[in-house]
Parts: sequence; structure tokens; C-alpha cells
Amino acid sequence: MRKAGALRPRQVVLLAVLPLVFAFAAMCLGRMAISPADVFASILGKLGLGAGCDAQTEQILWTMRFPRVLLALLVGAGLSVAGCAFQSLFSNPLATPDTLGVASGASFGAALGILAGFGLIGIQLTALFFGTAAVALTYLAGRGMGRDVSAFVLSGIMIGSLFSALVSLVKFTADTESQLPAITYWLMGSLNGKGYGSLALGSPLILAGILVLCLIRWRLNILPLPDDEARATGTNMTALRGVTILCATAMTASCVSMCGQVGWVGLLVPHICRMRYGSNHLALIPACISLGACFMLAVDTAARTASASEIPVSILTAIVGAPFFIVLMRRSGGWKI
Amino acid sequence: MTFEIRGGSFAYKGGRKVLDNVSLSAGSGDLVAVLGPNGAGKTTLLRCAMGFLKWSEGASLLDGEDISSLPQRRLWQNMAYVPQARGAASSYTAQEMVLIGRASRFGALSQPGRADFEAALGVMERLGILKLRDRRCSQMSGGELQMVLIARALAAQPKVLILDEPESNLDFRNQLLVMETMSSLAADGIACIFNTHYPAHAMRRANRALLIGADGKGLFGDVDSVVTEENIERAFGVRAVISEVETPVNITRDVIPISVTGPAGEMEARRATGGSRLAVVSIISCAPRSDLKINSLLHEYGGYIVGRMGMPYPAGGVNIINVNIDAPESVTAALTQSLGILPGVSVKATFSGLDGRDAVGQ
Repeated sequence: MRKAGALRPRQVVLLAVLPLVFAFAAMCLGRMAISPADVFASILGKLGLGAGCDAQTEQILWTMRFPRVLLALLVGAGLSVAGCAFQSLFSNPLATPDTLGVASGASFGAALGILAGFGLIGIQLTALFFGTAAVALTYLAGRGMGRDVSAFVLSGIMIGSLFSALVSLVKFTADTESQLPAITYWLMGSLNGKGYGSLALGSPLILAGILVLCLIRWRLNILPLPDDEARATGTNMTALRGVTILCATAMTASCVSMCGQVGWVGLLVPHICRMRYGSNHLALIPACISLGACFMLAVDTAARTASASEIPVSILTAIVGAPFFIVLMRRSGGWKI
Repeated sequence: MTFEIRGGSFAYKGGRKVLDNVSLSAGSGDLVAVLGPNGAGKTTLLRCAMGFLKWSEGASLLDGEDISSLPQRRLWQNMAYVPQARGAASSYTAQEMVLIGRASRFGALSQPGRADFEAALGVMERLGILKLRDRRCSQMSGGELQMVLIARALAAQPKVLILDEPESNLDFRNQLLVMETMSSLAADGIACIFNTHYPAHAMRRANRALLIGADGKGLFGDVDSVVTEENIERAFGVRAVISEVETPVNITRDVIPISVTGPAGEMEARRATGGSRLAVVSIISCAPRSDLKINSLLHEYGGYIVGRMGMPYPAGGVNIINVNIDAPESVTAALTQSLGILPGVSVKATFSGLDGRDAVGQ
């Protein structure tokens, strides 16, 4: 008997293998192309099954590319799952970390952290705090206007622009010699120059968020239901909503604190997954993890290989995302979560 | 399992009382209809009953236990809610939707197991909607969606089922399907409570009814004693006739609205019974053993009877009696009801027009 909405074995294999293929390809690509054979040999070397490659190749592969590949996979998966969770939570197809103001709030927190001279952990915590504050404000502002498609998005835009203004305020007061360029460059969003250290600091919250949402993924199906119907399932909705908001916000804030504001991923990927795999979170969450990771990795690889000077990744995601967003908005009348 | 509302009152913050000291009880196999004019608080009653809104006074009880003190999961293993099938349907497939009904049956961190999938499919098969399993709810007709929502509620294997206007917005084939389903669930021992706009549906399906007036007071009892022409006029401000229609299978009763007589009224103070109205009660008795009883009943109502003509008709084996009665309608109706349930007795009352009331001496 086929379980409704669950992934078929074939799809599970595909979703598991795809990020590995993308990761392998991303290791090969770059300003200095490395042949797949060399990459393969080097991986075998790392696993203790061969001699590996020459020192320079090893250096590029494992100090520069590998952490960045991991980061892209992690951020892509995190932002996609967070976006998917927000959409179900607000039963609104346009709800994403960006449209709900979470990303702006987290950016403000991070900018504040940089201004105060905090380390990466401090920056993450302030990003998390203000990200949560932003989503709480959005919820409070949009509540009572009904579960209308526009209510939460409108209040999210308001809260988002409030925090953007606050970011400008921080920039205004920042030291123009050192802090301002740091904040500005960081806000553009880039996965450049992040080593294992920053990965180790940023990944736990993202991984924990993904894990928790993955464990309760079937329950997430209850989120988009009207309130009475949701409560009639006997589920503690306050707890379910709380956990979902906390996970999604923590993941977004962690991503923002590591690589700035990378927009659109949380909108684009979940919707592609919904079209392909349906609305059942049993399949949707794993699909978002896998395809989100692949999408981010592809965009980041393009960003660092396309031209001699690296394009900030948020520019590329916006170029892909904005047209998609417009198409989505135009058909969102009949769009249901 | 018995579900009860005891002395439930509800008022929105700073507002008037929407419900005032309403009581209701439904045991296993009971089908309770909740009737009342628009805005009388039928939906509010159901929402309070299930704990979505808090009673300002009174309580909902499940086997005598206040549901507000029950753990949510245990409550919703015993009780299930069928919302109105309108508009905002989701893009889940029917099977996914029905499976959501199983949520109270396993822990928060578990995924639905084989037993849950089987239970969901079993319910769908029983309701005859198995063919809809892979169809998205957003692409269903109102009738199909309503059946899916009923299936979702049943997937929890509840003992009490609460349905909010399950048959409104449906065409009459689907109305019939939904009502048939409710009857068969009640026959299986599930206590069903449903809101409806149609007194006729209450009469035909329910064994108990709660009639809520515009003042938020309720009248609860057996359908026959609650859904009467008099009570309908009081609650809805509509003169209606309860008629019997003979079908090839049985006699069904229908409520036919005749005219609007005033605003939707109040259930509290029973309006002073209206003036007298002249009526002719025609009785045909074909069972001699009932004749004595007929005589004693007519004697009992003797004060109202202004004329009487008995005509034995031995050739036809019947006794024909015509009684002219000048009494409040409720009195005439009570007499007619009492006569009508006697074996072998047919009875019908014909009332004079309202305009004639003045002509009849009080």
C-alpha cells in the first residue's frame, strides 16, 4: 500500500544523491578548474584510500572550496526549510524569511553586533534575537486582519522596512574606516572567505532547526488549517507554532549571521517543491532540504566562477528570484498552501 | 459516552449575551439538531461546546467531566469536529486530509503508521469516497469536500461528532447523502450534534433538538416537542405548517414556511398563547377500541368544544366524528396530536383564517 504523500523510494534516492552530485561538481569548478579525476583522487586520499593530489590542489579543494560548499549546502537547506515552515505557519504562499521581516531583523541584529565589535557568536545571538523580535512584531501587526494572503506580508514589509531603516542608522553611526565597509559588504550577502571556524559556529542552529522540523514534519500539515480545525486535531497548537517559529527564525538568523542577507531562496525553493511534490510536509521538508541545498550551491558556484571578481550571491538569487516572485504573485489568487 | 452542555452562557467581551443558560445532552446514538434563526448563536454554541470559545458560565461535559480540564489529546480522541465545507480548501489530497484526523492517535514526534493509513482508507471506503483519495481538496465540489471532512473527523474514531451546518450549501442529493451518513453514524452509536437551517431536516433525522431564540435562550427536548409550529413561529417569526407527506416507504414530515409574522423572536417568556381560533377537527376511527379513548379526550377538552357531530357508519366499519373547537392553536394541536397517536384513528384539524378571529366570540 502506498502511503499518501510520502516519497517513493526512487525519489528518496534522487533527493539524497542530488546534493552529493552538485557538491562534487562544485568542487571541480572554480577559477582554477580541477578535473573530476583529481577531485576523486583527493577525496579517496582524504578517506585514506590513496595518495591524493599535489599540495596546491589539496589546499584549494579542502581549505577554500570544501567549507564553502558545505556552507552553501547548509544555508540553502536552512533557508528553504525556514521559508517552507513560514509559508505553512502563516498559510500564506508569500511568507518567507524576507517578506516577514525576519531577515531584516536579523540583519539589524548582526549589524549591531558588528558595530559593538562582537565575535561571530555574539553576532549570531543578536541576529537571532532581532530576527525573532521582527517575526513577533510582524505577527502582532498582521494578526486580526484575517488569514488573508496580504495581511502578514503587508505587516512583514512594514516591519522589514523598519529594521532596514535601523540598519541604515547603524551604518550611519558606524566608523567609516573599518566598520562601515564590513557591515556593507557583509549585508550584500556572500559565502566568500568563510572557514571551518565560522561554519562550526553557524551550523549547529541550522542543523538543529532542520532536525526538529524534520521530526515534526507530518504535524506541520496541521499548521495551514483554520484555527478551530487545527485545534480539533488534539495537537497543542501553541507549542507547534512556537517550535516552528523558533526553528525557522533560528535557522534564518544563523544563515544571516554567517553570510548576510541572501534573499529569495526561502520563497523559490519551497514553491518549486510544492509544485513537484505536493503540499504534504512528509515529502515537502526532505525535498526542500535537498533541492534548497542544490539551488544555493549552484548559485554560489556560478557567483564565484562567472566572472573574475566575485558577484555577491544575493544579487544572483535576486535576479532569478524577482521574476519568479512576480509570476507567483500574479497567480497567487488561486494559490493555496 | 454522553456529551452534555450544562447551563452554558456566552457573551463576547463587553457585548450582549449571545447564549443564555443553554443546556443540551447527547448520549450514544443520539442525533441532536441545533436550530435557530441567523445570528441566534448556533455556531457560537458549537464553538463553545468544543472549547474553542470559553463559556462565561456553565460547562461542556464529556461523561460528566468538564472538557476544559481534559487533556486536549484525550478530548479529541473522543470528540471530532466537522467544519462547514466552504471556500478555503487546502491543496492536500483527500487521503492526506483524512489522515490529519488521526493526529490525536499518535505522539507529536511520530509519523503516521500503517494502522493510521489503514484507518483513513477504511473510513473513506465506508463513506464511499475512496475514489477521491488522490484528488486535491481545492478541486472538489462542496459535497465531496464535506464528505472528506466527515471522513477526517471519523478517522479519529470519535464517540461524539459535532457538525457545523453539514448540509448547507449542498444540492439536495448531497444533502441527502450527508444526512444519511449522519443517521448511519448515529445508528452505530456515535452521538451526533449538528447545526442546521432546516427544521425539516431536524424533524426527519434527529431525535432531539435544541431551538435557540434571538435572545440566546434555548429550548431542548425531543424533536416532536421542540419543533412545533408554535415554537417555530416564536423562534423564527415565521408561520409554518408541519405537514406529513406520504411516500411509498413511509410518512415523512416537512416544515413548510407560510409567511413572516414578525421579527425572529425569543424563546424565554412563552408568549401568552394567542387568541382562540376556530377549527374543525375531523376524526375517522376504524378501531372500536379507540372510541372510548376518543370520547374521554373530547370530554377533557369539552370547555373548548362548541359543536360536535358523531356519525357512526357501520357499513364502512368506521366512526366519523366532527368537532368544532374554539381554542388556542396549541390546545387544538395538542388534542390533535393526542388523537393522532391512537391506533386506527385518523385526525386532521382545519383552522379558520386569521381574519376570522375577530368574528369568533372570545
